[in-house]
Amino acid sequence: MAIFPPEDEERVRELLDALERSVELLVALGPEEAPLPGARDIDFGAETQRVVSGLAALSERVTYRVEEEPDGFDRYPAIAILPEGGDVGLRYYGLPWGYELGSLIGAVLEAGRRESSLRPESLERLAGLERDLTIDVFVTPT
Amino acid sequence: MLLAYKTALASPRVRSAAIEATEFPALADSMDVWSVPRIVVNGVPQWDGAVPERVFLDRVLAPAFE
Repeated sequence: MAIFPPEDEERVRELLDALERSVELLVALGPEEAPLPGARDIDFGAETQRVVSGLAALSERVTYRVEEEPDGFDRYPAIAILPEGGDVGLRYYGLPWGYELGSLIGAVLEAGRRESSLRPESLERLAGLERDLTIDVFVTPT
Repeated sequence: MLLAYKTALASPRVRSAAIEATEFPALADSMDVWSVPRIVVNGVPQWDGAVPERVFLDRVLAPAFE
């Protein structure tokens, strides 16, 4: 099902054509937190599935699967972005819509690169990292 | 958000998540999310807003997280 207007869909398709390796999207469904009062009555899990399937439809290198309460997720709905099917710790918690759909596409594009797009000096610094880091970024769709 | 993902892709020691604040209000409240993007490292709120790559790494690699 289309999730973009036709002109945007073509642009996203072109971006995804640049993928150098496959990217799998795992949609994790399960009990959802009650949204804020006044939030629209949305089935976030079903919508997340729709967005991800729409994205996967634009590239042969993007696939997706849906699981109920898989291991490794704190809350639902969620998406794991898996380069070549491997879990390297990339998650999107919630429904990626509006501005945040761009974040999911950006994650797929980056995961589809064989070489990082970070600067060499950044990669050097990360290579020296001797502790585990969890970076959570709170976002909103607007 | 993309910098956090790039960092996780570049290091096996880094995991990164985007969290849609309006869908997880209890969690967002516990992290005092008021404006976005709010960056939280190892469960501790750090700063709000986008920063350049060098600054991002300066902050997440700061000795405070050792």
